[in-house]
Amino acid sequence: MSDMNDDFGDEPSDGTFTDEELGTGLLEEELRQAAAILDPVPTGLRQIAVDAFALHDLDARVAELTFDSLVDAIPVRGETDPPRMLTFRADEVTVDVEVTADGLIGQVLPPGPARIEVLNGPLAHARLTADDMGRFTGGAPPTGPFALRLRTGREVVVTEWLRA
Amino acid sequence: MAGGTTHSTAYDGVSYTRGGTVDRADVGVLVQSAADGDAAAWKSLVDGLGPLVWSVVRAHGLSDADAHEVYQTAWFRLAQHLGRIREPEKTGSWLASTARHECLKLIRASKRWTPTDDAQLLDRPSEDRTPEESVLDSEEAAAQTERVRRLWQEFEELGERCRQLLRVLISSPPPSYQEVSAALGIAVGSIGPMRQRCLRRLRARLEARGTI
Repeated sequence: MSDMNDDFGDEPSDGTFTDEELGTGLLEEELRQAAAILDPVPTGLRQIAVDAFALHDLDARVAELTFDSLVDAIPVRGETDPPRMLTFRADEVTVDVEVTADGLIGQVLPPGPARIEVLNGPLAHARLTADDMGRFTGGAPPTGPFALRLRTGREVVVTEWLRA
Repeated sequence: MAGGTTHSTAYDGVSYTRGGTVDRADVGVLVQSAADGDAAAWKSLVDGLGPLVWSVVRAHGLSDADAHEVYQTAWFRLAQHLGRIREPEKTGSWLASTARHECLKLIRASKRWTPTDDAQLLDRPSEDRTPEESVLDSEEAAAQTERVRRLWQEFEELGERCRQLLRVLISSPPPSYQEVSAALGIAVGSIGPMRQRCLRRLRARLEARGTI
């Protein structure tokens, strides 16, 4: 009994299970089987996660999300569908992005030209270019999770993956 | 799992322990190996922790499309942060917490908090069969299938909090309480008592319907 009890490390360990604990444990196990049968990770989705290993990129610095209007902004009354404002930061590099129904608008700071890839998953991406002021626009809003990979001079920065 | 083997209980063949295909103690090692370029280690992580991530998005009741996107976002972000994670052995909690925050954002953004369409879930077409499903297809398991369906139905009709907690607790392999805490934003200490309570409730429902 005691070895079983150890496996429930977060529960009080008096060395024994009551009948009720045993019963609920068995019920939980049965429910676990049911979940594996009726609500498993969809096969295609599992494969996407396996393929995501290709996104592992140690050469790039990760620009972390430091502002997300969805979380950090005070809602403006009357504005029903405000644009999503995002700010990513990797040390001195800042990327501001606005996602609207029409597409992406953004700026790289400090201002300067950059080649930008809009990553849409392990395989798909679109290319954009930031002008001398670091400004860029993209024609269509990303569907699903996206990240921006920016090459500014010698440096590569990738924004944290996010669902737009 | 052999199709011809029938068991009197659904949990036969699964050890009644908090272990599974990927021992949680190995997670840190797998993360390190993946960070060093080992694709097989990454695959093991996906298989070992994927069901936990899936349970988190399911627990939050997102639509199928949203659930898929949050699941992907969590894994894309882990791939991106590989080698930069401070406590690799806690990657399960990291993923669970990442998925939870993305779920909450989606819910906030669109109020698309629609419960899972039970009928659709239960009448899932037969492609994409898991080995477990194939076992259930066998004739001798028909009664078992019915029992599983009833069990799941009663589970889905539990209150929101119990449904959430149990959905995460029943991912495979069983998550640690730290992972459950990260998945749902509840204190580790309250999980045990809540778990008992919710399972008691489920049992009472099943008894009332004569399923147990």
